[in-house]
Amino acid sequence: MEGIESSSNIPGYNITLKWVKNIFSRSLRVSNNVPKHVGFIMDGNRRYARKNGIEVKEGHETGFFTMSKILELCYESGVTCATVYAFSIENFKRSPYEVDALMNLARLRIKQIVDKGEMAEKYGIKVKIIGDTSLLDADLIKDIQNAMEITKNNNRAILNICFPYTGREEIYHSMKECMAKYCDNGEPEFKINESSLDLNLYTGGEPPLDLLIRTSGVARLSDFMLWQISNKGVVIELIDCLWPDFGPLRMAWILLKFAFQKSFSNRTKKFEEEDIDLDEDYANGSKKDI
Amino acid sequence: MGIKEESCYLQRQSSDEECIPIAATRVPPPQGSVLKGGEVNSKSRIIKAVTESVLWDQRNTEIDNVSRSSSATSGEFWGKKMGKFESFFYRILLVMLYISYGLFRYGQYQYNRMRLRILNLIYNPANTPQLIRQDVMKLQKIPKRLAAIVEMKPVGDLGGGLKGLLNDSSELVCWTVSAGIKHLVLYDFDGVLKKNVNELRNEIHSQLSKYYGPSNVPRYAIKIPHSNKIYFNDPNTDKENENNASGGDQEKTQEKKKVSIEISLLSNRDGRETIVDLTKTMADLCASNDLAISDISMQLIDSELTQLVGQEPDLLLYFGPSLDLQGFPPWHIRLTEFYWETDNNEVTYSVFIRGLNQYAGCKMNVGK
Repeated sequence: MEGIESSSNIPGYNITLKWVKNIFSRSLRVSNNVPKHVGFIMDGNRRYARKNGIEVKEGHETGFFTMSKILELCYESGVTCATVYAFSIENFKRSPYEVDALMNLARLRIKQIVDKGEMAEKYGIKVKIIGDTSLLDADLIKDIQNAMEITKNNNRAILNICFPYTGREEIYHSMKECMAKYCDNGEPEFKINESSLDLNLYTGGEPPLDLLIRTSGVARLSDFMLWQISNKGVVIELIDCLWPDFGPLRMAWILLKFAFQKSFSNRTKKFEEEDIDLDEDYANGSKKDI
Repeated sequence: MGIKEESCYLQRQSSDEECIPIAATRVPPPQGSVLKGGEVNSKSRIIKAVTESVLWDQRNTEIDNVSRSSSATSGEFWGKKMGKFESFFYRILLVMLYISYGLFRYGQYQYNRMRLRILNLIYNPANTPQLIRQDVMKLQKIPKRLAAIVEMKPVGDLGGGLKGLLNDSSELVCWTVSAGIKHLVLYDFDGVLKKNVNELRNEIHSQLSKYYGPSNVPRYAIKIPHSNKIYFNDPNTDKENENNASGGDQEKTQEKKKVSIEISLLSNRDGRETIVDLTKTMADLCASNDLAISDISMQLIDSELTQLVGQEPDLLLYFGPSLDLQGFPPWHIRLTEFYWETDNNEVTYSVFIRGLNQYAGCKMNVGK
């Protein structure tokens, strides 16, 4: 946690930083090409702890601070929905001590988000805990429901906390929901198609995912938002640093990159329309071959 | 086990349906379209786009401001509306940010291209399986199942059009055979490969004979899971073996089914749509009380999808400038390792072998 305090040594540093951040996020905001929905796989808290000789528990706590800083920048820049991978169903395989520590941390943070809730208040964030919550113990479920209840009327931004979650479970859950609705005679009009499956995901009704960020240089999804990420056009950023080292500066860079690429690809699309006739000729030609 | 039959039914039925030629309507991935596209997407066009964007920024500031006051979403900053001057100021800043990023990006792009060119010189298979073998022998582990996303480039480009796609795919097959990997999944969004499976068979045959000599061509099978069809080797040799032969020939077909590589062709159709189809089939079964919803487990879905699409690949190679999964079957990328080279736009051996290298070095810990 030294990283957080050491920045305040120079007088006025924090204020300047805040000012720069504000200006930057507002500039990005006018581009109208900021990702609407960002997913985070926050990988590397434990390795960070090991590297810095602190306890695993503290590593997770540092990770949480990083998360709140990153999310603040995102929301200020115009991201309306963020999804973070906090705990995988597979994580129950970890040592009971660590699982307990993570659960306690979650309980504490969920309470903090709701009670003090500077961020939830300031940005009007609706907190949603998504995943197979039936795997948690009853106390925690109560806390979660409480948190969701309190923030449910906030409508500027959404924060999805995936807790215990896997992407396959999400698809499976949505399939079952759809089947149940289909069989249930209460909704005779219900049709099963791509959008109905999409709507019944935990993230249903939220803007589609635009950007996925994974830290610690691992090139895998590890069962996170499989349905959403496999969609065409989702930008995937793999970053080669541990999550607690991932600062707002890097996030700003990624947002700028995204906005830049998106603005220009939107413009080049116009020019590409000229090529479409060519493609059509081709498509007709290839059909003849069959 | 009524489900199994049902899903087979589903396959056969859907094989008859007319596939729409998506190639005509497809839109390139937003990230890539700026920097790739080769000759067709020339530098002058990018400059055109850049200038237009900058000009647009200035020109439309006022118009935007007018429209903004009516639409609450774009210019509003947490309830506080941005003034005309303020918005103009931020626009200028944005353009400056874009210009500096653009300059950096240009340098980065040139650097990456140079790097790729050098890598291509270092790793050159030179049509010899022995060289590939040597490269692979150094690795501690190799993937059991390899997947690759290939794309059809515009017809005007070098290596573009159907020919280029077939050539790329068949070369990939050769490398995979030489590396000793038994399963290869070729994914292209529009299903062009599926539609041109006979051309692909021929192309693979001729490419393999370049690598192994015409008399030594390894046996291969091309599978299209969606229509449940298997093709063996090139079409000229054994037409009658296209679908399972029966009776006395069984032993012979068994012999023929021993292949060095199995190639599965997938497209967008095998992704979300297949999951939708499966849901529909199961829902119908539930509605007619042949199946209880509570009986549907993750394992059942998993085995169904494995049957319909195939198994999850261990490594996924992407030969484009920045990773875009393009609707690759979502169920099948749970723990798949991805590999691509930034700013690369060609199917090259260096990407292939470097992908295998990365895979050999990766540590897998499910949840731990």
